[in-house]
Amino acid sequence: MNAEVNFHPTDDLLAKFVRDELSAGMIVVIAAHVEQCQVCTQKTRDFEQTASIEWMEDVAEEADTAEQSAFADMAAKITSLPQIKESRQDDSVQHEIHVLDHSVRLPKVLAKLAAEGLVWKKMAGGINQASVALDDKTQCEFIYMKPGSQVPVHRHEGSEVTLVLDGSFRDDLGDYRPADFVVRDRSHTHQPASDEGCLCFAVLDSPLTFTQGLARLMNPFLKYRFWRATSAG
Amino acid sequence: MSTLAGKSPRREQPNPQPARTTGDTVRPGEEAADQSSDEELLIAVGNKQDRAAFNLLFGRFAKRIFAMGIKLTRNEQLANDLVQEAMLTVWQKAPMYDLDRGTAQSWIFTLTRNRCFDMLRKIKRQPMTVNADDIWPTVEDQDSDLIHEEKGSFYAEVDNIESYYGQLPDAQRAVVEQIYIHDRTHEEAALELDIPLGTLKSRLRLGMGKLRQLVGTVE
Repeated sequence: MNAEVNFHPTDDLLAKFVRDELSAGMIVVIAAHVEQCQVCTQKTRDFEQTASIEWMEDVAEEADTAEQSAFADMAAKITSLPQIKESRQDDSVQHEIHVLDHSVRLPKVLAKLAAEGLVWKKMAGGINQASVALDDKTQCEFIYMKPGSQVPVHRHEGSEVTLVLDGSFRDDLGDYRPADFVVRDRSHTHQPASDEGCLCFAVLDSPLTFTQGLARLMNPFLKYRFWRATSAG
Repeated sequence: MSTLAGKSPRREQPNPQPARTTGDTVRPGEEAADQSSDEELLIAVGNKQDRAAFNLLFGRFAKRIFAMGIKLTRNEQLANDLVQEAMLTVWQKAPMYDLDRGTAQSWIFTLTRNRCFDMLRKIKRQPMTVNADDIWPTVEDQDSDLIHEEKGSFYAEVDNIESYYGQLPDAQRAVVEQIYIHDRTHEEAALELDIPLGTLKSRLRLGMGKLRQLVGTVE
């Protein structure tokens, strides 16, 4: 766990996270942050507690008596099965990812994703991206910014969450270090840059729009790429 | 985190299934009673494979789980499947329930949500690369830091902890002593007691939970 995390998901996001009320992409990026953040781990447990109380109090939909009889057999069947005495550690997942000259330890949920095999693509400005498919609403990718790289100025149609995994990056609103959870939406036009290099995991719920120079030519392709990413499977 | 000291008198529904006492693990005089708290029942299920306690938990939670299933799938069969999957997980993982983690109700909620998440992704044919237990871990893996951090305050608050040891099952007491009296690491204690590390950790967790209940410092 990182003691010093400066940027966290909002309480609203965490409350939806524990209730499974977000896209899978958003849930995964929040999970990866929570795993590294003691503050959000505790908050998550508090929100789970609250959610469970509401769940028990919600009497809107009750099972009818027919269901009750189906339940009677079920309990007996279940208790005829053995219990699990100790938590198994999943050693099959490699937690490290190799970027250029060093390896980075990933949060468990991202390690699982990366274990499927990442295909890195070179983008403009010293940026490399590897997309992963999680759902049909978001575009999720690992982003590696080389030392000294800069993403062209862009704006988001929807929102983008970036979780720093290693190294750091900055934009005009701040400096971001490992486990920081950075949210940008359409009101922000920003130009992320990294001096020391940075590995991130990003979740977008709509395409980027570049706002300056030649990079604007990329826009139609990005939209196409986003459409491809979110309509596959 | 709420206290476990109080019973939960909030159930307005009588238990639809009378507690079974046929299980060989239930001894006369210590059967799970309908007024036991969720936590007491869950711990009995985890410690003694107490079927009567499980039946009571089933009676308290199955309808809620079913309702969640109906809400999310609009399908009775799937909602029934969810009840089965979730309650099976409760039974199977009860030995790993950790009082530090929260109330039994909260824990069962998280298990249900997790089974639901996996079920819905399967139905929608979304990639199963990550599953719910990767996203929301419901039992601690190697995370014993919290237990260790509590060591100082635990000792400071409890003058006469030894007197409570007598009430712990032998196996749990041995583990707690190794860690808290002899200050061994988990690995050393497991070697010393000649038990697997995972067994040691679950015994430690249960033992500490019980002690905390006895001492009345369930925070």
